[in-house]
Amino acid sequence: MSAVRVPSIAAPGAPTVQRVQPSAWERTLRRFRRNPLSVLGLCIILFFFVVALLAPLLAHPTERNPYMIPHQGYASDPRPPGPGHPLGTTEEQFDLYYGAIWGARSAFVVALTVVGAGIAVALTLGSLSGYYGGWIDEAVMRVTDIFLAFPGLILAVVIVAVLGQSARNAVIAIAVVAWPTYTRLLRAEFLRVRDMEYVQAARAMGVGDFFIIIRHVLPNTIYPIIILASLDMGGIVINFAALSFLGLGAPPGYADWGQLISLSHNWILGTAGDPFQYWYTLLVPGVAIFLFVLGWNLLGDAFQDIFDPRQRGSV
Amino acid sequence: MRMRPWSIRITAVLVAAIVPLSLGALVARGAGEPVRNPDTFVELQFGDVTSLDPDLAYDIYSAEPIWPNVYETLIIYSGSSLDKFSPMLATEVPSLQNGLISKDGLTYTFPIRQGVHFHDGSIMTPDDVVYSFRRFLLQDQAGGPAWLLLSPLLGVDSTRDKQGKIQVTFDQVQKAVYAQGNNVVFHLKRPFAPFLTIMAAWGGVMPRKWAAAHNDWDGGATTWQKYNNPKNEDRYQFDHMNGTGPFMLEQWDRQNKEVILVRNDHYWRQPARLRRVIIKSVTELAARRLQLQQGDADLIVASLNEQSQLRGLPNTVMQAKLPQIAVQTLQFNFKINTEGNPDAGSGKLDGQGIPSDFFADIHVRRGFAYAFDYAQNLSSAYAGQGILPHGPIVQGLLGYDASVPTYTTSRDKAIAEFKEAQGGKLWDTGFKFTVPYTAGNTARQVGATILRDDVQALNPKFQINFRPVPASALNDLLFSHKGTMYFLGWFADYPDPHDFAQPFLSANGYFPVRGGYNNPEADRLIDQAVGTADPAKRASIYKQISMLAYNDLPYLFLVQPTTYYTMRTWVHGWYYNPIFPGQYYYTLYKQ
Amino acid sequence: MSRFIARRLLLLPFVALGVTALIFSLLQLLTPAMRASLYITDPKQLNALPDIIRKYHLDQPVYVQYWEWLRQVLHGDLGWSETAREPVLAAIRGYFPATFELALYSFVCILVLGIWLGTLSAVQKDKIVDHVSRSTSISGASLPTFVWGLVLLMVFYGHFGWFPPGRIGLDADLFVRSPQFHPYTGLLTIDALLNGQWWLLWDALRHLVLPVATLTYFITATLVRITRSSMLETLRADYVRTAEAKGLPRDVVVDKHARRNALIPVITLASLLFVGLLSGVVITETVFNWPGIGRWGVTASQQLDIPAVTGFALIFAGMLVLGNLCADVLYAVVDPRIRLQ
Repeated sequence: MSAVRVPSIAAPGAPTVQRVQPSAWERTLRRFRRNPLSVLGLCIILFFFVVALLAPLLAHPTERNPYMIPHQGYASDPRPPGPGHPLGTTEEQFDLYYGAIWGARSAFVVALTVVGAGIAVALTLGSLSGYYGGWIDEAVMRVTDIFLAFPGLILAVVIVAVLGQSARNAVIAIAVVAWPTYTRLLRAEFLRVRDMEYVQAARAMGVGDFFIIIRHVLPNTIYPIIILASLDMGGIVINFAALSFLGLGAPPGYADWGQLISLSHNWILGTAGDPFQYWYTLLVPGVAIFLFVLGWNLLGDAFQDIFDPRQRGSV
Repeated sequence: MRMRPWSIRITAVLVAAIVPLSLGALVARGAGEPVRNPDTFVELQFGDVTSLDPDLAYDIYSAEPIWPNVYETLIIYSGSSLDKFSPMLATEVPSLQNGLISKDGLTYTFPIRQGVHFHDGSIMTPDDVVYSFRRFLLQDQAGGPAWLLLSPLLGVDSTRDKQGKIQVTFDQVQKAVYAQGNNVVFHLKRPFAPFLTIMAAWGGVMPRKWAAAHNDWDGGATTWQKYNNPKNEDRYQFDHMNGTGPFMLEQWDRQNKEVILVRNDHYWRQPARLRRVIIKSVTELAARRLQLQQGDADLIVASLNEQSQLRGLPNTVMQAKLPQIAVQTLQFNFKINTEGNPDAGSGKLDGQGIPSDFFADIHVRRGFAYAFDYAQNLSSAYAGQGILPHGPIVQGLLGYDASVPTYTTSRDKAIAEFKEAQGGKLWDTGFKFTVPYTAGNTARQVGATILRDDVQALNPKFQINFRPVPASALNDLLFSHKGTMYFLGWFADYPDPHDFAQPFLSANGYFPVRGGYNNPEADRLIDQAVGTADPAKRASIYKQISMLAYNDLPYLFLVQPTTYYTMRTWVHGWYYNPIFPGQYYYTLYKQ
Repeated sequence: MSRFIARRLLLLPFVALGVTALIFSLLQLLTPAMRASLYITDPKQLNALPDIIRKYHLDQPVYVQYWEWLRQVLHGDLGWSETAREPVLAAIRGYFPATFELALYSFVCILVLGIWLGTLSAVQKDKIVDHVSRSTSISGASLPTFVWGLVLLMVFYGHFGWFPPGRIGLDADLFVRSPQFHPYTGLLTIDALLNGQWWLLWDALRHLVLPVATLTYFITATLVRITRSSMLETLRADYVRTAEAKGLPRDVVVDKHARRNALIPVITLASLLFVGLLSGVVITETVFNWPGIGRWGVTASQQLDIPAVTGFALIFAGMLVLGNLCADVLYAVVDPRIRLQ
């Protein structure tokens, strides 16, 4: 399950996002407000953001590492929601409420780290490649081709196998999978901006390459990157959760939704006569990750509607 | 042979517990439910087979299909009893009364049954029996089962000395096991009362010609050394079987981790009622349970902490609280092979790994011994169904002594020990390693979690991870000394303390071969105990051995658990014997 | 068109080279001793690592090692998998049909459902059908495969007990292993047909339902969205409007003119579908205990069975590359701009 990237951006060779004129901001906002779903998406994301931010207040950490979910004892049977455990516990008594709250925080941390790393690599390689072209460009593009020849999750599984299993290595693996898309996008943007008149003019005036990149090219290319990043957030979190679910990411007891879901695997059949007895072990983390990804997807859809020229004027 | 008081005690304990259960099961059966696949029996568990060679396989998952289902022994335990035997490939159980045991207790004579066919159609002869036992003694894979008979017959527990040189001669073996007309005679090195209990479970008989035709030893006096200490896969018998038992091997599907047995229609007794038996490894409990619920599986094995999920399933019966002569341990590897071993991290004492001799430091071991919460482990990993052991000699055996001290959880003592460890450096540098555990064994998974939490709470620089490894792969891993610290259990091969002292503490024992523990004093005491006939004296030596285990601390003895099986109500004829590695399918039928 | 296809085919060896190079570079993160395990084809060699390090030049410069390794891989020698307890290639051969069967049926379902719903949604834009299909697809795209799979398990296995677990029932399994049965392809459904065993086909299909449903939902959601937006654009195109203006019935316009052209961007984005499908296979197999390559790869990764993980990655990369190649060829066939080149 890889990131659901909106096609107009991710697909190699497909047209990239249209650059938005500074004056378009207001139009954007207006269009954004007109779409109730995108507002809903934004609300969901803001909600999770606040939860993540206030996690230490909402669920007070007791372990040295706040991302490790506290648990009382190791009894195998999950406990239903009740006093002390508002959302119940998983097997080995990890508190689901704590896990859901801190899971939001770790989701943001993971997604922002991966996006940050992706952008950092993209800025270096993409700008070199897009600005200078030639053999550098060719080399960088062929390397991204190779990375894209692997389904993301499979490459991540290999990387985790080689590096060892831990939350940190899972993040590294996902970042390694993510960077080519960013690099390709940034390169394309660079190619476009490079030939614009004001850049040509700056070059003619003898301004240094580095300065041109920083001052003129970057500000114009960063915008689509941010859109791509926002579209990618949900996918990154799904990938990380998938690795944890497969037993290759965060260790048992780590506040990650995928890890909590893997703890429910043994309990989905309930007990005799009550097949849904342990519903909360699956639904609590399942709903959390669903809403989180939904929020980003709604936002992404809105962005796509707004910035995709093919849809313009049709709504 | 008269039973010694200790054996009577253990038998009483076990039989008292078992018999009512088995009877209860026969009575409390549901009726009227249509039987799925009436002549096929499906058992699901989490372990998988390492080898099908009866002389090399030495883990319960491999042993289940091997004995007594495909290969058979000369005698066998009668029902659930541990001290009464029935003849199998022998026609009589030797005793002092019938004269088949000599007065000095050194010679055992087994009259061999006539007209028994092997699965390939050939007829079993005393020559085959002799060959099979000699093969058992002489193939002697390091850490394998050969010691079981080497010890009483030759007075050594390995065919090789400490330097790995062959130390037994074919002449010795020839004098220990030989054919005499239609009999096979065993000559013991010294009197050993539990000998028959070994013979009732070990030494599966295979045809000599068949083995020799497939690149195995031909039984010759000069060639055997070439076949000594083989790798599992070296042997044709690794994945081919040819015994006399009620079932024949149809297929061992290593990819899907399943063994399929098919009925032997030319069995020397009444053929089995089941036509096929499938033993399959499925590590996820949910999948095992679902198949049981839907009637696709007839019997499943699960950990004690999963029992609540299986209780009260419609049309199933749970045979619970079955006593075991077994102990679950957490073991240290004294000499870790850090080469290409990610479990040991960097392989150095730098906070990112552990060096090869990490656990050879007694302070490190004591640190772990004091840190681990035994009571928590018993109550959550084993659902409280067992007792905390006092050293290697478990309750029910001669020499079990509740006055042997145990390590109790103490944070302060653990910290003090860790501060002294590795010349005082450990506390500041810290360590990092991974604990492997058997995939699907959730009790051990919980144990690993407890270990991690307890130890990491002492010092943030102490880092422990754990990971599941399928049973057969774990066996390979430990065999190549790549284990760091790991969970292993020991199940009695026969009900005697020697079967616990030797595997745990002798340098050639099952665990020391994997973990590197070595103390000549232990070897001396074990040898002395085996040679002592007087039960009281023998018991006192076992107490000394337990004290040695306490002081040397090569293992943490965690729990002596009970066990349970969950099966469909249409399963009949099931009974339990703690020495059986699994089910005896011959008596089973579905109705 | 043939030039276009030829160029793609010519590129193939280079892609293959790149893919192996990437895997090989990742393996360089391991110690030589762990890498040595890649050359072990027989467990007997496990204790002879130093010899293997020497024999396969693991102490030599990287390019020498790569060449040696590549030669082995080209000979089909991928090492010994401790997880499968047999050579990696044999394991792949054994596990592949189950994976392929699952992926194949899912792919068909995804295509049919995705394109149908996407078209419907576009044609009925802003009507109730469109809203339902859009909201289902956007929630599908937000529902991770493992959550959806577990929910299906909980409801259909646990509660209703409608579908059997695993890949094959007990009777069917015994029959398939028996000599009366000829495994032509390894795909149970196809083999059942070829053997003329209807009950076996029925058994195999029943086992396929839930895994396929799990795998389908997430990716169909993506496809619906692509098809819809592409279709919307085409419907606005001049030639479609012209056709409509000429008085052609709406159905004909949609079928003959719009849908065909709308599918072109869908084909260019096929890569996206393949990626989702192949990643989804790995998770679905784990959730449903499906005995395929994905589950094996995950177990192998947990166990640090590096040769198996390498084989697993290579086979998945191979599937993706070949899938993309097919899409390219199809694209060339469909898109007139390339056809005329």
